[in-house]
Amino acid sequence: MTTATDERATSPATTPGARLQRWLRRHGWTIGVWLLLLAFILWYATLIPAFGEFQIASIARNSLPTVYLALAQSVVVIAGGIDLGIGALMVLANSASALLMEDQSFAMTLVIAVGVVLGAAFLNALVGLVIAVSEIPDVVVTLGMLFVYSGLALLVLPSPGGGTSPGLRFLFTGSETGVGTNYWMPILMLALPTALLAWWMTRSRRGLSLYAIGSDLGAAYLSGVSIRRAKVVSYAVAGGFAGLAGIALTTLANSGDPRFINALNALLASLAAVVLGGIVLGGGVGSVVGAVAAGIILFTLNPILTAMGIDPNTTQVVRGVLIVLVMMVAGLLEWRRRRAE
Amino acid sequence: MPKQKPSVWWLLAMLAAIAMLVAACAEEEDVVDDEVDDEPVEDVEEEDPDEEEPEEEAVEDVEGDFVIGVSNTLVGNQWREQMVCSIQAESLASGMVSDVVLANRDTDASGQIADIEGLIGQGVDAIIVNPHDRTALDDVIAAADEQGIIVISVDQAVTAEQAYNVTNDQVAYGELGGRWLFEQLDGEGNVAYMRGGDGAPADQDRDEGFQAALADFPDIEIISEVFTGWDPSTGASQALDIITTEDVDGIWTSGIDYPVVEQFEAAGEDFVPVVGADNNGFIEQLIELADDGLTGAVVTNPPPVGGVATAIAIDLLTGREDHPQDTILTPEVYDNIDDMAALEDLYLPDLPQGFVATMEFEGYTTYTQEQVLECEGP
Repeated sequence: MTTATDERATSPATTPGARLQRWLRRHGWTIGVWLLLLAFILWYATLIPAFGEFQIASIARNSLPTVYLALAQSVVVIAGGIDLGIGALMVLANSASALLMEDQSFAMTLVIAVGVVLGAAFLNALVGLVIAVSEIPDVVVTLGMLFVYSGLALLVLPSPGGGTSPGLRFLFTGSETGVGTNYWMPILMLALPTALLAWWMTRSRRGLSLYAIGSDLGAAYLSGVSIRRAKVVSYAVAGGFAGLAGIALTTLANSGDPRFINALNALLASLAAVVLGGIVLGGGVGSVVGAVAAGIILFTLNPILTAMGIDPNTTQVVRGVLIVLVMMVAGLLEWRRRRAE
Repeated sequence: MPKQKPSVWWLLAMLAAIAMLVAACAEEEDVVDDEVDDEPVEDVEEEDPDEEEPEEEAVEDVEGDFVIGVSNTLVGNQWREQMVCSIQAESLASGMVSDVVLANRDTDASGQIADIEGLIGQGVDAIIVNPHDRTALDDVIAAADEQGIIVISVDQAVTAEQAYNVTNDQVAYGELGGRWLFEQLDGEGNVAYMRGGDGAPADQDRDEGFQAALADFPDIEIISEVFTGWDPSTGASQALDIITTEDVDGIWTSGIDYPVVEQFEAAGEDFVPVVGADNNGFIEQLIELADDGLTGAVVTNPPPVGGVATAIAIDLLTGREDHPQDTILTPEVYDNIDDMAALEDLYLPDLPQGFVATMEFEGYTTYTQEQVLECEGP
């Protein structure tokens, strides 16, 4: 399996045409998913009587938790792991932040938000450390954490409640009430963390080390990558993004909700987004940018299917079929490529 | 693997394929709808004698084309399904609604806000919402109200002042059942208190009523208090624990009733009085096991609140009749000592245990039971 790293190292820059072709080849999947998202949004626009700022703002802000969680899962999967506890960590962050932020000033909620993100990163770093040191498979440890985090969330906030400050709601949703037509803030909140993470993953030594251990542990070790450190870093970054997802949820609903079902739904959405976004389960391949579009697509499916008047119980089926279809297309493309070589 | 692919075009082709597939699904459903509409109504069980439907249709043959949106966050739950079906049935029976748009999925408060935003975008005239949370929907309901959309919260009230609330009186539910049980025990004995979902507004309200009834009976002792989460299998195992390990004289349940009675049979213990809801299975037990010593009372918690809300929404949209901001429906209590006839009336032999037997609400709903069972909107 090739990685972003050695591909860049081995392909010489030649004519602009060849360069474009190479760029397309490397980012084809990511571009495709974004075009798919664009097509979905255009499709949605034709389904409802009036499509405008309100809908764009609604899609952008309501996608935030799914997108952050997709980013979190992407980092772990690219590094060769899988985090089944990530949805529950989001619920824990949601519960804790809603409890702490109720009736606080904007400045105070901002401090709490930073604290929750760092706390979630720290907790999940410990999980990464346990996996790295004990060499117990990721699936086993993080499955345990699914229940640990869920239990902690219920201890922190036994039943839905809490709140946050209008200022923080504006920061994430573009409106102090969480409802409105300002789409610039939520789009900024989607784009900024994505850009930072994408830059870090592909341009920094530590980010690239995640691709390295996900691609080939042995080769990564031989080229001097600290495998344990990379593992811990991948889980810490994922934890931070899960914390961010929890805070986004708090600002959307102005409350926290500790129930287990939310953790499960969020986890499954994050895995679906990763797969749809072109990140290979097993590690080493894919871009977090693709997972963002996939996360938004997964959210947008809800209003589209509602607008089409499809039986709500069919919605889950359609979502599943979409994922399988995308994977089949991926397999077909891979097969064509292999045959061409 | 996929990362090295050149073809954006493949993805677009796939998108087109999916679009066609989904469109085909949607069309197919329309066809099915039509077929069902054409079917003659058969096997009418028992018509409400003062059914006002024909008369109403004669008075106003205005063909309305209102669109009603529905937001529900718990799927696969019998009560909620029936609530949604009663909305569909009332919309169809009224002749004033051209479409019912369902946003129906398992989600949380933020998901429900997103769903309601989606319904606003669809240009619905009214939104019927079963709220996930009392307060979290305030702002989105205000946004809907600004667009001139009527919002009716059913089952549980919301704090948004623009919303109408149509709810079953859950405080009365807890109090009426509790009072019946304590009187049945002559004000003395050990009672197991099997509550619903921890933290759910309906459970808190029922507890308020139950505690109020309990305060009048100082010699009743609550020997066990558990949360069933309204889950039949959880309730069954908790009940088995209680009846085999405790000296219990009566059981109050928050609607997980027939599994509890089954545990008495499984454990071979003598029945004690049980309070439950209007679940078909429980009514069947009250009728059939009365001779074996089972006494119990049904406290109704009718899912037709959905239909009632639909009728109110149509009244408000047409300006036909004004309604107060809060419509609170009081539950009925039927026991198998004095009200056997009423229980036999409610019982639906052909339907499953978990089906809620109250299907209409006199004075509001105009549909037939068949329309609820078919669950087809306009």
